[in-house]
Amino acid sequence: MRRLKVLYEWFDRRLQLGEPIKEMALHPVPNKTASWWYVFGSAAFVLLMLQIVTGILLALVYVPSAGQAWNSLNVLNHQLTLGWFLRAMHGWGSNFMVAVVLIHMAQVFLFGAYKFPRELTWVLGVFLLLMTLGMAFTGQVLRFDQDAYWGLGIGASIASRVPFVGNWAVHMMLGGPIIAGATLSRFFAFHVFVIPGMLLAFACLHVWMVLKLGINEWPMPGRIVRRATYAAEYHKLTKKDGRAFVPGAVWKDAFFSAAILAAVAVCAAVLGPYGPGGRPDPTIIQTAPKPDFFFLWLYAVLSYLPPSLETPFLLIAPALGIAGLVALPFCAGEGEKSWHRRPVAILMLTSIALAWSVLTHLGTFTPWSPKMTAWSGGSPVPVRYTHDASPLQRQGAIVFQSKQCRNCHSIAGVGGQRGPALDLVASRMTEDQLIRQVLQGGGNMPAYGKNLSPSEVTALVSFLETLHPANEPPAADASRNAAAVLVTPAHQ
Amino acid sequence: MRGCAFTGGLVLLSLALFVTCMGCHGRIGEPNDQDELMRPEEVISFDRLYQQNCSACHGENGSGGPALDLSNPTYQALVDDASLKRWITSGMPGTQMPAFGESAGGFLTEQQIDALVAGMRARWMFKKSAGVAMPSYLATIVGNAGHGEAIFQASCVSCHRQDKQKITNTSYLALVSDQSLRTIVIAGRPDLGQPDWEHVRPGQPLADQDVSDIVAYLHSLRSDTPGQPYPDESAKR
Repeated sequence: MRRLKVLYEWFDRRLQLGEPIKEMALHPVPNKTASWWYVFGSAAFVLLMLQIVTGILLALVYVPSAGQAWNSLNVLNHQLTLGWFLRAMHGWGSNFMVAVVLIHMAQVFLFGAYKFPRELTWVLGVFLLLMTLGMAFTGQVLRFDQDAYWGLGIGASIASRVPFVGNWAVHMMLGGPIIAGATLSRFFAFHVFVIPGMLLAFACLHVWMVLKLGINEWPMPGRIVRRATYAAEYHKLTKKDGRAFVPGAVWKDAFFSAAILAAVAVCAAVLGPYGPGGRPDPTIIQTAPKPDFFFLWLYAVLSYLPPSLETPFLLIAPALGIAGLVALPFCAGEGEKSWHRRPVAILMLTSIALAWSVLTHLGTFTPWSPKMTAWSGGSPVPVRYTHDASPLQRQGAIVFQSKQCRNCHSIAGVGGQRGPALDLVASRMTEDQLIRQVLQGGGNMPAYGKNLSPSEVTALVSFLETLHPANEPPAADASRNAAAVLVTPAHQ
Repeated sequence: MRGCAFTGGLVLLSLALFVTCMGCHGRIGEPNDQDELMRPEEVISFDRLYQQNCSACHGENGSGGPALDLSNPTYQALVDDASLKRWITSGMPGTQMPAFGESAGGFLTEQQIDALVAGMRARWMFKKSAGVAMPSYLATIVGNAGHGEAIFQASCVSCHRQDKQKITNTSYLALVSDQSLRTIVIAGRPDLGQPDWEHVRPGQPLADQDVSDIVAYLHSLRSDTPGQPYPDESAKR
């Protein structure tokens, strides 16, 4: 024990780190901030550490060349002991990091922690968010599979829309006119050196400011932030109603970070690594690339926007969004912190969260896009629909499949969602209406009159006519019944 | 302390959820994605090829779909490799079977089509004890429509008379070829409970000539203008 102390003193005399660390650990924090609400920032930092460690281990094996990147990931997945787990930890760590950073940001916004004197901490935080997203995108590219290839294509085409410098930007981004080895080298350098270096430096600065300025106190309605008096008030609060950061508050941070790491590990073990998907080969056209989940909202937005609005949205919205985030602490640097007295803040946060989740959700199942393989792959028309059908209706079911109706219309939950599901179509459309819709199209549906023979239409409609609940008759045209009644006696 | 218990509960709950997921996922370990990593034209796993190209019409395991049940052993005994391969590659003329071969604009290579044929044979072909000789797959005799009608009236009408199972509908006949009619008369649809050539007439299996006659009769019912709207009512008028 004595020897250890001597050793410690020898080092501390030269390093002079003991005092500042002790001061940091024991600095008083307001009692109420020792709360489960204050754990997200430290968890994000711990996740950054996890990403650095797993990233270094991955870099020992990964080959950043267009010809071998994909293979080296498959070596990790299949040939190295626990290589798949390492990849899964890095991939899920990235997902959790984006999620935790967003939650941290929402919490800071909700608690008014960006107000005086913590404006710069917030601005740095905004940059940290952007860099985290940058890491996520460049990491997706390093996976160098089909999603990466086409994701880069989308990225490049977004860059190309910038007026005047678009071409040059694309050239810079891809390291040449096409997606090739130079592109991968470039993204490797960004993902491994440039962004992480900045991220680490900014994150340390961010933490430094949190320690120096003190953690944001628990917002109370009526406790107004004023530049002139804030510092003294905060000091008084920590004196009167405070406790040392270690061990008073830190154990919750430690516990939550450990829980997050455990959650990452469980996700990685159970759900496995991300891809790599198919080979990054543009000659393979049987593919429907999709971005990772944090960019699904953008994917959904771009799919729904009319083409004329795409460029303005892509170029203006991000600039406005970032400017708004950076400007926030300077526009609202004083005043109420409590969410009880900031209805606009609550409304903004809930609308953004709702919009984001709805768009992300839509991005997962892409209702705007036909499922191009539904006609030949996947479940057949369920047996219960065809078992008692007539031969003609069964042929109609084949028309339904072979003419690819199912790519847009689902039956029994399988198929595209571009058009309405047809499980109950006969109870809402009569035979004539069905024939007309098939022949002429309408709404979003193209006309099939020229692509189907009369017997195919008849078969298809006779099949569709069976799609109604057993206890509910299909929709019928009353005038046809009346006509039948009128015609029949005349013949008798 | 209440918050602590709450968080603990939450963590336990999410762990429980993951363990449940684990049950669905099957196993923990390196990903099992060899098939997905292949170029699409290199896939020769029958299951995958069948699932991607055939299952939607012919049924998940070769039965129960709207189109012919490929898992019917009688059908497998009936059809020869060359015909099967030809139908997959270039489609079946006069029917809705599309072409899947690269040579006809589809996505499947010759090896993949061979794999499909071999897979179907391995899975669904059983050697039946040779009883009565089965009619040949391809028609060799010219059928007699008049005789065919007589057999149809005697043996088929009991089921096919009702509106529900009417096969004399001209739209139906326009969507099937003589060959596919012949196939279904011989092989039946056991998955739908419909008899084959041996059982359609109790104690008296259909002979090759009978099958050709029935097909000739059905052929004679074909219309030049099938699929007209309201055929029944226009007939009444």
